[in-house]
Amino acid sequence: MTERIWDKFLTDRDKAVFDASGFGATAEWGKRPALLVIDVNYAFCDEKPVPILDSIKTWRTSCGEDAWEAMPVLQRLIHLCRGKGVPVIYTTGTRRADNWDSGSWSWKNSRRSEDASPMTTSHGHDGNDIVDEIAPAPQDIVVLKQKPSGFAGTPLHSYLQLLGCDSVIVTGTTTSGCVRATVLDAFSLNFRVTVVEDGCFDRAQSSHAINLCDMHAKYANVYHSDVVAEHLQGLRAGMFELPSGMGISAKAAE
Amino acid sequence: MTPDRFEDHVWKDVVPDDLLEIYAPYTRATSVGPNPALLLIDLYNLAYQGGPVSPLDLQDTYPSSCGIYAHQAIAPTRQLIAAARAAGIPVIYCTGDTAPMAAPKDVSATRRKMSPRRAADFQIWHDFAPQDGDVIIRKQRASIFAGTPLISHLTKLGVQSVIVCGESTSGCVRASCVDAYSNGFKVSLVEECTFDRHELIHKINLFDLHHKYADVMAVDEVVDHLSGISAQAAAAE
Repeated sequence: MTERIWDKFLTDRDKAVFDASGFGATAEWGKRPALLVIDVNYAFCDEKPVPILDSIKTWRTSCGEDAWEAMPVLQRLIHLCRGKGVPVIYTTGTRRADNWDSGSWSWKNSRRSEDASPMTTSHGHDGNDIVDEIAPAPQDIVVLKQKPSGFAGTPLHSYLQLLGCDSVIVTGTTTSGCVRATVLDAFSLNFRVTVVEDGCFDRAQSSHAINLCDMHAKYANVYHSDVVAEHLQGLRAGMFELPSGMGISAKAAE
Repeated sequence: MTPDRFEDHVWKDVVPDDLLEIYAPYTRATSVGPNPALLLIDLYNLAYQGGPVSPLDLQDTYPSSCGIYAHQAIAPTRQLIAAARAAGIPVIYCTGDTAPMAAPKDVSATRRKMSPRRAADFQIWHDFAPQDGDVIIRKQRASIFAGTPLISHLTKLGVQSVIVCGESTSGCVRASCVDAYSNGFKVSLVEECTFDRHELIHKINLFDLHHKYADVMAVDEVVDHLSGISAQAAAAE
């Protein structure tokens, strides 16, 4: 097998344990996927590729340049899914202006108080706005969430049910946080799960690799985007009754 | 059922004309949705105890029984289950969770005063005995979805709609229908196979569910639909 991104972080014993215990087998894809794009917003990406240690001075949750390395991958997969009529579902955060509903988030970060005065980008975008480079199209679906998992307290599962999805292809950020939480909930709900290795990113490169390793071992097939793109190309077009998107652009422009 | 027969149901004699007028915008054709599963809500012994008499006469002996209404529903429910099995669709039961130490004090499906839970009371009534391959959900609250793995099972089975029956119309059936609807399932509720302790509350709750969340359908219509699925499956073989 070709070298995986996590191999260099594993000890010899770890590798032997994975081999011997049967984890990391390749599961079936499922037949009716949705593409999930988790939290690829300005707060996690900054406005352009900026070295992470500089970027986090402004955006404390930024993943720096790694976010922008994933961007062409996301663009490619989103384009492919739209072409096939496969649902493209984004998540991003939402918050009251006074930040009261940050809840448990405020317990684990010393810079949380900065959120009390929400920042905007130089173009006036909120930190929770999905970056323009992969902006949602009118027929796409955007799920607003407050917690790591895209399923926690959101209608995401009912949308997947309504669309008749049996599987999800997960991309976005952070691999160790919201991506993993969403993958775990999808797995618990019996969806087939694929994670796009180069379509996910994190603040910490070791966390990124080890979380991909964990997910591949237990919950998902972790594949390179080339493999995912080839699979998407093989799907029949027009399988889903997607939102019409009528009137969405006009509303968004208001 | 075509829209002109939308109000042709058991509530006809209790729903006044002005209410029908207010609810006119809900009128539509009714049907069973794609890839259905049958949900049998709380068809446990407690609901049948005391036999086919008025629940009023069972207040002291079997206060949880639906008496005559439960027993009247036995024959059509047997017919419905047989049709579901012939069609090969998933058959899913639920009953009260009687496992010891499973819940704190006062956790129950309704606020009524209950005698202590006995496991035998919550076994499925013998006419509807579950078979190998069926699923039984043990629940602590009114809805079959609340705090149970049902939704993950339905996702795995590729289910997109549910056919619901059982008791009580105003309690666990209603809660389960609303949750199914909220979770993106098409809901069909079988009139003759659904019951409560009093006709008025049964009728008004069916009326509510039919207009807002579910298609209330006659058992014959649902059985016909399921027979169609059986015939299609047979032809495909």
